[in-house]
Order: sequence, then structure tokens, then C-alpha cells
Amino acid sequence: MIAVWRKELRSYFCTPVGYVCVGVFLALASLFFYISVLQEHSSDILSFILRMSYLWMLLCPVLTMRLFAEEKQRKTDQLLFTSPISLTRITLGKYLAAVTVLLGTVILTGVYTAVIGRYGQIYAGEVFTGYLGFILQGCAFVAIDMLVSALVRTPIIAAATSFGLNVALWIMNLLALQAPAWLADILNFLSLYSRNEPFLMGQFSPASALFDLSVIAAALFVTIHALDTRRWKKGA
Amino acid sequence: MIELKHINKRFGNVQALKDVSLTAQNGEILGLLGVNGAGKSTALNIMTGYFPPTSGTVTIDGTDMLTDPLGCKRRIGYLPEHPPLYDELTVREYLFFVSRLREVKARSIPAHVDDILSLCGLKDVAGRPLGKLSKGYRQRAGIAQALCGDPPTLIFDEPTVGLDPRQVVEIRGLIRTLGKTHTVIFSSHLLSEVQQLCTRAVILHEGKVAWNAPLNQLAKNESLEDVFLRVTLREEAAS
Repeated sequence: MIAVWRKELRSYFCTPVGYVCVGVFLALASLFFYISVLQEHSSDILSFILRMSYLWMLLCPVLTMRLFAEEKQRKTDQLLFTSPISLTRITLGKYLAAVTVLLGTVILTGVYTAVIGRYGQIYAGEVFTGYLGFILQGCAFVAIDMLVSALVRTPIIAAATSFGLNVALWIMNLLALQAPAWLADILNFLSLYSRNEPFLMGQFSPASALFDLSVIAAALFVTIHALDTRRWKKGA
Repeated sequence: MIELKHINKRFGNVQALKDVSLTAQNGEILGLLGVNGAGKSTALNIMTGYFPPTSGTVTIDGTDMLTDPLGCKRRIGYLPEHPPLYDELTVREYLFFVSRLREVKARSIPAHVDDILSLCGLKDVAGRPLGKLSKGYRQRAGIAQALCGDPPTLIFDEPTVGLDPRQVVEIRGLIRTLGKTHTVIFSSHLLSEVQQLCTRAVILHEGKVAWNAPLNQLAKNESLEDVFLRVTLREEAAS
């Protein structure tokens, strides 16, 4: 698993993908920082984290598009699937590599927190819960988008499909505002954005954390199952 | 030793392999011959556990691929038809990665990779990205990755296809060297290549084993070419 993790991390930064992901994320986060903090003279870090959380739908497809789709396109999956390493370890290695880049990006956003802390007032608990929800939500998007990469044949299709799916998840959240109560309850229950709301109010929500972890576990499980099924159905 | 017993493989409506049984003994260089579409790559992919057969069993040194796939894969090094190379990695980085995948102990990896680089004639290009190598060096890198972890059995799918004559000679020399210490199975549609390198040949035709014998059992004044034409024409007439 560590071999796959190391190789994937190396691949992120041997190619422009890693730099583009981190660079574009930080550029857009800087824009949000200017709009929501500097222009407003606000030290409300949670609303800044809320705005940054919308960037996951953009970053995660680029981060995950290559993970399995490119292996298929370049036929390097033959090396992985004929090596003495289980599908579970391959999947976890790739997932953890993407999460490592995601965490690195999150750490870099600490600069904004430091600036707010220097010139305004922030509460450590609030920052902690806000960032916890932000990271869990990002990890869930990575798991979902990696599943898409395992299901399609090229990185471009993986990125486009993942982005479409992420937007659909966001729209689901907006639909809940207009929907009848019973449907709104279901949509809110399933929405990664609604689930993040307690964190963005500075509250630690075990239910929301458990939901995000369940989404991650389910997406990884389905990814492993999809890879195995494809192997069994090869060419059929 | 690799043993295939009654292997069938169906892709949708196409029966790619029909009741294929063959054995490669330890220390043997076995050549799989056949025209395009005869089922050579399918047979090799099944031997290496890339995908399973529809029915039948594959055993490597007595271990069943279905019940202990990782145990079997530890005993095999595989060069597929398209070398599985990551263009962004250098040759050395790539071999380090494959060595880690194949469970070589961390402290042994540098020496192990150096040995493989020397054996495959890749020392001069070890620091170059795989994407910038010529076809011949890419093929060597593909063979080199199959050697990582020192598996006792090597399986090469058309290792000389697309190479220039000098590269073909070099790769054949490498296979001959490896054949002294490993069981080697390779596919080819070049009769002369199989006759030069192999101790045994298996001719696959339309997914079936049409001929399987040691090459020293060829009748006097009979070439592999004669046998190939005879058995493939016989099979076509029969079908």
C-alpha cells in the first residue's frame, strides 16, 4: 500500500496535476479571502471555510481523475493487477495519496487563518471544528470521485463525470430548500453540504462525522468491488 | 512449474480459449505460437492472474491461482504486450516502485535494482524518464520490471514485436540468458524466434492447442514452419 501511495504522490508532482490542483485551489481561496474577509473587514473564519468548501467540487475531480482511469488508458493496470498486492491495498494507497495532497492544500490555507488571527479574533474550537468538517467533506468527495475514475476509461471522462456528479450533489442541497418537507429531509440527510453545517456553526457533530466516514467507506468498498467485477468480466 | 488444465475463456459470444491444457516445467523456455487472434495473449493473461478463466484451473508450483492469487503472483514476472510503464517516472524510480510492489525488502532494493539495470543494459538510461526512451529501451524496461522480486517464472507477451533487427537480437540474447535461471514462457508469431530460443513449443490455433511438443522431437528434415503449416491447415480443414 505504501508503494502505491509513494508512487502516486510522486506522479502528482512529476506532472503538472499536483501543482495545478494546489495552485488553482489557493488562487480561488485567496479570491474568497479577499471578498469575504478583507473587503468585509470580517474575522468570520467559518463563512470563509464555507466558501472554500465549494472548491472541493472543482479540486477533487482533477485530483482523482488519473487514479484508475489513466491506469486503464495506459494499460499499466496490468502491472498492478498481476503484482502480489490486493485490490484493497491498491485502492487504499491511491486514496491516501489523493488525501495527502488534499491535506497539504488544507495546511497551506492555514496562512489565511493566521492572517485573520493576527488582525482579528478567532476561537480555537471554532477553527478546529470548521476545519474538521472541511477536511471530512473533502475526503468524502475524493472517495466518490475516485470511484468514478474506477468506472470510466479515460481521465478526461473521469474528471467531467466527477465534476457533474459533484455539481449534482450541490444542486441536491439547493433543491432541498424548495422541496416538500419529507423530500427535503431525505435530501438534507444525504447532502454532504447540509451535513457540514453543524461544523460551520462551530459545533462538533458526531452524526455528521460518522456520515462522512460512512460515505468514504462505502465509496472505497464499491471501488474495490467495481475493480474486481471488471477483472472478472474482462472483455465480456 | 505452470500448469493450465482445461482452460476455457469466453468473451461474450466469442470463445477465445477452448479446453487449453499445457505445462511449463521448471527450467524450460516455452514458446507460445499462433497467428493473430489465436488466443496467445488471453492464455498469458490468465496464467498471470490478470483475469480469470471462464472454467479450468491454473496452478503455479502447485498453488492454485483461484485460491491463492497473491501466492501465485509472487512467483511470476510478467511483460504484457504493451509494457506497463509510467512515463513520468525515471527507469530507476520505476524499478524501485515495482520492487516495493513485489515485496523486496527496503534495504535490498538499491542493490536489487542495480543488478537488474546491469542485466538488462539499462544503466546508462537509469536516470531518464521512461516517456523519453526509445522503443528498444522501453521494452528492456518492461522486461526489467518483470525481474523485480526475482520471480522464478517469467512470462513475456511478444517481447520483440516492433523492435529493429539489432534490438531483436539483443532482447533474444537477454531471454536466452534469463532462460538459464528461470522458467520462461513467451508468445510470438515468429517461428524462427521460437525455434532459436525454446526447448518446447505450443501452437495455439483458434483458441485450441494444435501442437505441443519439445523442439528436439521434431522429425529429421522437418522445421517448425512445416509443423505450423501442417497443424494450422489441418485444424482449419477440420473446422
